[in-house]
Amino acid sequence: MIRLTKRVEFCAAHSYANPAWSAEENQRVFGRCSNVHGHNYVLEVTIEGEPSPETGMVMDLKALKDVILEAVVERFDHKHLNLDLPYFKEKIPTPENLAVVIWELLEPRLPGRQELRLHRIRLYEDGSFYVDYYGERAANG
Amino acid sequence: MGKDAWAPLVEVTRAYQFSAAHRMHNPRFSPADNARIYGRCNNPNGHGHTYRLEVTIRGRVSRQTGHVEGGPTLDAVVRAQVIQRFDRMNLDHLIAPTDGPTSTTEALVALIWRILDGALVTGQLCHLRLEETPSNFFELDRDDCPGRPDRPSRSRPTGARK
Repeated sequence: MIRLTKRVEFCAAHSYANPAWSAEENQRVFGRCSNVHGHNYVLEVTIEGEPSPETGMVMDLKALKDVILEAVVERFDHKHLNLDLPYFKEKIPTPENLAVVIWELLEPRLPGRQELRLHRIRLYEDGSFYVDYYGERAANG
Repeated sequence: MGKDAWAPLVEVTRAYQFSAAHRMHNPRFSPADNARIYGRCNNPNGHGHTYRLEVTIRGRVSRQTGHVEGGPTLDAVVRAQVIQRFDRMNLDHLIAPTDGPTSTTEALVALIWRILDGALVTGQLCHLRLEETPSNFFELDRDDCPGRPDRPSRSRPTGARK
């Protein structure tokens, strides 16, 4: 098996709050992250599969890029994650939760070939902090 | 945002830097053998590196906070237990003979694993990557991590020293 990775970037704003908690409790738990702020996110999407005997490719990187741009970048870039999108009405837009949302957006849009699957979503909030998600297979395994 | 049956399992990584000096020297070897085995790293007055450390923890995402358990305190633990201990220090005074024959980065990453594994939530530490320079790095992995195929076993630190 070969793994290939496509990297893209997007910029978005967010703030952290649990609506079940008081303002003081949110401030205690989330600190400055309870203010609206933003990040230059870097997303790495890793696909695992066998190279096609015809093309020599696991997946055409241009096709992968197009899927990521359509499913993720155009949705999230220069948006407010809490206010502009439906995904964080019930969940706090931490990088942990955002990585899972991105997996769920990308996974069904990838070519349904048996010899190819989404391996990992790696989401950098900045150069010194990132989150990895390997899907439910890893979570259940 | 109440309790939910299913919570995704994610890995969270934070990166740190610390600067330290060391000298590779095994007192059980002769001076000639030390010079032959360790080369420039055996310089009598030592040398130093800006080490870069990546710490990965793994856990289920809390519905209450959106973070993995221990995630918000990871930074404080690593700074108190690792960065305070090693930054601007001579590693030769901090790595005991039980950690390894000399202050190799193999010995250092294994020592940092033991320090953090004892200080973090049990079983949460998942992966360590210690870069001696951008070209030379050493990794330790808990054996059941999801990303394991591209990672070395915990018992086999990787990396080559020039």
